[in-house]
Amino acid sequence: MASDSSPANINGGPSSPDDSYSSPIGNTFSSPGDGTRRRRGRRPSASPAFATPPHPHSRFAASETTPTPSEATPTPSSGRRRRGSRRASVSTPIATPSSTDEAPPSSEGEGDDMDEAPPMFVWGTNISVQDVNAAILRFLRHFREHPSHTEGKYMRAIHRVLEIEGESLDVDAHDVFDYDSDLYTKMVRYPLEVLAIFDIVLMDMVSRINPLFEKHIQARIFNLKTSTSMRNLNPSDIEKMVSLKGMIIRCSSIIPEIREAVFRCLVCRHYSDPIVVDRGRINEPTTCGRPECLAKNSMTLIHNRCRFADKQIVRLQETPDDIPEGGTPHTVSLLMHDKLVDAGKPGDRVEVTGIYRAMSVRVGPTQRTTYIDCLHLKKTDKSRMQAEDPMEVENGSGRNEEDTLLGYEDKVAQLKELSKQPDIYDRLTRSLAPNIWELDDVKKGLLCQLFGGSALKLPSGASFRGDINILLVGDPGTSKSQLLQYIHKLSPRGIYTSGRGSSAVGLTAYVTKDPETGETVLESGALVLSDRGICCIDEFDKMSDNARSMLHEVMEQQTVSIAKAGIIASLNARTSVLACANPSGSRYNPRLSVIDNIHLPPTLLSRFDLIYLILDKADEQTDRRLAKHIVALHFENPESLEQDVLDLPTLTAYVSYARKHIHPKLSDEAAEELTRGYVEMRRRGNFPGSSKKVITATPRQIESLIRLGEALARIRFSEWVEKRDVMEAFRLLEVALQQSATDHSTGTIDMDLITTGVSASERMRRESLVSTTRNIIMEKMQLGGPSMRLLELLEELKKQSSCSEAHLNDLRNALATLASEGFLSVHGDSVKRI
Amino acid sequence: MVGLPYDFMANPLGAVRLTFEKAMAAAEASGSDPANFDGKDWGVADLFRQFLFDNGGLSQVPVLNSTNFKRVQPNTLVRFRGMIQDMLGNELYVGVYKEGPNWRTNKFMDVSQFPMGSRPDMRVWERRLLYCVPVPGQNSWVEPSSEAVINCYRNGTSQQREKRQRDDNTATDPMELHVSDDEFQGSSSNKKLREGELPFESSKAQDFVSESACSSVSMVPTFDKDSLPCLVKIYDSPESDLKLNDVFEFVGVFTFDPELVVKDDTDEFSDLCDDVLANLPPSKVPRLHCLIHRKLAVHDFISNSPVMEVKPHLVKQIRESVLGHLTAVLGNDGLAAHFMLLHLLSRVNGRVDTLAVGKLSLNLTCFNKESVSVFGNQLTLAIMNLLPFTHRIPLTVDYLNSASLAPKKDYQLNRLVTGVLQLAEGSHLTIDETQLKAGTLNSVGVENARLLKNLMQLQKVEYDFKYYKMEMAADVQLLILSEGKSNILPADLVLPFQPSSVDSTEPVATEALEAWRWYLVTLRLLPNSIDPELQKVIEDDLVAARQADRTLSSQDFSRLLTMGRLMSLSYGETSLSLEHWQMVKELERLRRERLK
Repeated sequence: MASDSSPANINGGPSSPDDSYSSPIGNTFSSPGDGTRRRRGRRPSASPAFATPPHPHSRFAASETTPTPSEATPTPSSGRRRRGSRRASVSTPIATPSSTDEAPPSSEGEGDDMDEAPPMFVWGTNISVQDVNAAILRFLRHFREHPSHTEGKYMRAIHRVLEIEGESLDVDAHDVFDYDSDLYTKMVRYPLEVLAIFDIVLMDMVSRINPLFEKHIQARIFNLKTSTSMRNLNPSDIEKMVSLKGMIIRCSSIIPEIREAVFRCLVCRHYSDPIVVDRGRINEPTTCGRPECLAKNSMTLIHNRCRFADKQIVRLQETPDDIPEGGTPHTVSLLMHDKLVDAGKPGDRVEVTGIYRAMSVRVGPTQRTTYIDCLHLKKTDKSRMQAEDPMEVENGSGRNEEDTLLGYEDKVAQLKELSKQPDIYDRLTRSLAPNIWELDDVKKGLLCQLFGGSALKLPSGASFRGDINILLVGDPGTSKSQLLQYIHKLSPRGIYTSGRGSSAVGLTAYVTKDPETGETVLESGALVLSDRGICCIDEFDKMSDNARSMLHEVMEQQTVSIAKAGIIASLNARTSVLACANPSGSRYNPRLSVIDNIHLPPTLLSRFDLIYLILDKADEQTDRRLAKHIVALHFENPESLEQDVLDLPTLTAYVSYARKHIHPKLSDEAAEELTRGYVEMRRRGNFPGSSKKVITATPRQIESLIRLGEALARIRFSEWVEKRDVMEAFRLLEVALQQSATDHSTGTIDMDLITTGVSASERMRRESLVSTTRNIIMEKMQLGGPSMRLLELLEELKKQSSCSEAHLNDLRNALATLASEGFLSVHGDSVKRI
Repeated sequence: MVGLPYDFMANPLGAVRLTFEKAMAAAEASGSDPANFDGKDWGVADLFRQFLFDNGGLSQVPVLNSTNFKRVQPNTLVRFRGMIQDMLGNELYVGVYKEGPNWRTNKFMDVSQFPMGSRPDMRVWERRLLYCVPVPGQNSWVEPSSEAVINCYRNGTSQQREKRQRDDNTATDPMELHVSDDEFQGSSSNKKLREGELPFESSKAQDFVSESACSSVSMVPTFDKDSLPCLVKIYDSPESDLKLNDVFEFVGVFTFDPELVVKDDTDEFSDLCDDVLANLPPSKVPRLHCLIHRKLAVHDFISNSPVMEVKPHLVKQIRESVLGHLTAVLGNDGLAAHFMLLHLLSRVNGRVDTLAVGKLSLNLTCFNKESVSVFGNQLTLAIMNLLPFTHRIPLTVDYLNSASLAPKKDYQLNRLVTGVLQLAEGSHLTIDETQLKAGTLNSVGVENARLLKNLMQLQKVEYDFKYYKMEMAADVQLLILSEGKSNILPADLVLPFQPSSVDSTEPVATEALEAWRWYLVTLRLLPNSIDPELQKVIEDDLVAARQADRTLSSQDFSRLLTMGRLMSLSYGETSLSLEHWQMVKELERLRRERLK
């Protein structure tokens, strides 16, 4: 009965660090805010009672004997004993810090009064209790984020905790490191000991500020300098502070864990004093505590008066990206207490800081089970929609988790070195989908898309997107899908969907009802999921009109609006769209415009910055290259094919670093070039002496150009968009336009082809046809006279020199125009003038 | 071997101990800490490697299987051949501890040999737990060499008494052996497969096997369907060595300790200790502390494999006879036999991004109800006899809607529950689409269809980890039997099947069968190259073909080249010759003609 939870605690002897190996779960030491600690708040008043610094040995003895009810009053030493199991293993030395308590409670007296006491070391460590105590006190008092601040960061934090009556103080390990790297090292190496001291120091400070503050405040360390991968946890990490990232896969139900037990004597009904868990055990008093009674073996546990704390066991699993090829994810158990209980749900990605511990398993005394005694839990994405992510563009401040990775600096230096190479642009292009040969310009465009431009938000509220949208149109079998898949793999947050399968629901957010609770839940679709990423849409042309109409908003406003089930929400979808489409016929018909070929609404088409036509030209050279490529694929070592290219992780790191840290601006020179180039482009449309007005560039193109230029600067890790970037942007745009916006009848670029689907020359031809038809009808037909057959009219039309190639369809179109003018009426095949 | 103070076979731990003591003595002399041995080998591996491979001890080591594992002595040397089905993570154990003045080790043991209380002087080490199962789809003729089996029997009879005793002690009931199949989910899926087969066929398979195998392996008991999983504990081996779905032979110490049988505990902490192991009692899943492991390729499973060199004339001879056999099986359809041969030799020999180079899936069309029952079964049987690991999926709407094809992580058990598509490298999968009728697919069905399609096209299977999916590379030969061209499962090669005669296949001589098996598994692993001149010729051919027919895509080219490579492999040659290239083009022409 007495032993509540830990039958496995074989070695109940004096604690030594080894002890903790076998410490059973009941001993979870990190539990914050258990009842005993609360008691600490009252300590100042009680302090004279236990102030016995001259006899450290007696203190030893006191703490070694476990508290028994025979002690008439809860002496502070037993109180200390009780304060939670985290300390149990260091119970002896812990006593010492109280010597600070005895120092005159003057706020400035940190540490100096301890000089007289002989230095005390925690068994088996190099921790001098006094030193650590003083160091912590110094840190808490004096750490300032910024020299200009008058009050220390943590002093403010403590006050705030007091105000809100909180239970814990979050301590950023980076701050500790910055202030006192030695303390940081000790803390990580001997967390049990140092944290215990930390708590004591905190307690003292709190009691000085507000002696009436009842609650116990616990330090919660987070944001360690290094985070360990679950795979690399090994025996040497045991008893150290570690930080892990992973995904919660299972949470146990909440387990009540006994903290304080109260017994009652069956004989005299005397209640014992609360007995605190000691190393996972409750020691049942053998005799009644009342001097008058002293009955033996008469004590019985009174459940209702015991104090329990919440506990939960959570399993954490590696995230997919940490798993090496051919492995299965590793898992580790986490032990959560009090506030941390239910802090995470299955499916959450979290970063936890805790102490790695091991304990013996009943099944075999030689085996050990490991778990992490959790100190702090941080969700790395709160929900899918408001996720912190590596592609974060605007938010340059604040430490990102990536920065904390060991060797990050080296990595950055390496990337920067890489960026200085003169051929980095070509090299990156080569590294992009190296097994897809040719298509260099397309790859360059895709590269720009990966790097992206800078989003701009004006104070007026207007915002300009920085994302570059690309459409690939082409014949089947031209490895469009492969390109898409490659980009999808490369992009930090890529979503790959097929237009055929994705309804409006799949692409955008929708509302569902949770079948169990009946709660309405917003579930995000591909576009929202790929916020700040790239949404790859295969078979764009097969997409339903409904879904496509959603894309209008996404591609310009970068939001998705939904109004369903009474919820109206606008969700961010700051995503670049990479789409690929097949021509509506099986092959691209060069005689038709892009619009006719892919049957996409021009409104949508104009939102793509770059539209590439990947045509399978009947060209012997390309065929030969294809053949060579495939032969090489089959008969050569595939590895040797990839010459001098960056591997995927490097490429990804390069892209995400650039996206996060490089925010290029237009240089004056570049701006000038941009203006000049744009004017030039527009002028190209005006042929001297021609009435034909061709628009070769629209303001949308300027935006595209700026974005492309920014992306190109980012590729070089340059903060300035230079002239050459703008020139390259022009080239890319022209290459894309030449392929897609070429008016095949004149050979010039015509933006109207994209925006309306009808080229200027075509429009002129139609207009002349209409006027010719009008003339013919005026000549040949009388008002109200007999009607004329269409074919006859066509014959007449063909006699006219200007319309010798007229088709029946053209004629019909012309007649329809005239009919709408009220000039004539068409009944089936006959035309009648009215 | 005389004069050694320990017996490798009966007391491998003795060897471990002796080497440890020797190493300790050396370490102490140099003043280093025993903890330094963590993750290191102190000479045990070398010792056993020498015994097993250099001195030919391997064949004496009994192979653990479901029939003998109850009789094998604990703490003796055994071996186990199987596929890594799941990885159960790492286990910490007390590696060394101090017993009096001496250090002792617990390596390769479940329980320490000396009582160890709580000692300050101990070091915690780490080992990996792998859950291994016999290779899925292993055919009954694949048996470890017979001498080892005999050996284990001899071993068994001589120590009968002690063995009895052990059985009694464990208080495990003999029925457990049969119960064990819900333990091993793979077997249930096997069963599913078996149920799908026509009864006459499986009985025929048995006949066939006994017919062919009786000459050499009469001692072998009938292969138990409830094949034995095994929990292998790996020491000192880099993570990258052992991958999921790899097939390994583990040689190690078989441990069995009744104390370790987990009692039913309702303790709240069982959740933390969690134990996957709790679901795997030693009476059903033996433990093996691995001393030596080696990766097995398919050809290691060919028993009594004639150690043959790849001699051109011999290979040609065998090739002709295999082709003859396949032609007979396929009702005299020579063209189909040719393609079948290439198909059976194919394997993924490289991956470039999403592309799996070297796969050649075959879709035989024009099957109907009658012909599938005749030729389909003949064919399945023939493949079963030729390749060590084969599977057959009768594709129906019901099957698609209910089967669990992809392995799935069960977070309650913390185990990876296997699926039909968790297959070892080099497995063969026949999908019979002829029984597929019109019907509605539910979400499971759609998912399964997609999985199959991905396997066909990319040779990858997505494993379901509930919160995310993980792609695992596979290397499976896929054969599809269908009425028309299968659109659900687009194969590399589509060939209308045109049998001309229905003659029942005559029994095959054992020697011939063995030669064929050897031929198929050996030749497919040969390297292959192309010389620059021929490369030029091929390129010209391809360009010309494409100029003539614009619909030829890179997939078509890829297929032709794969066929070329396989064709030259089938002659045992390592370099593609013009002659073989011409043959491939001719085959392709004939195939296209049939398609019209």
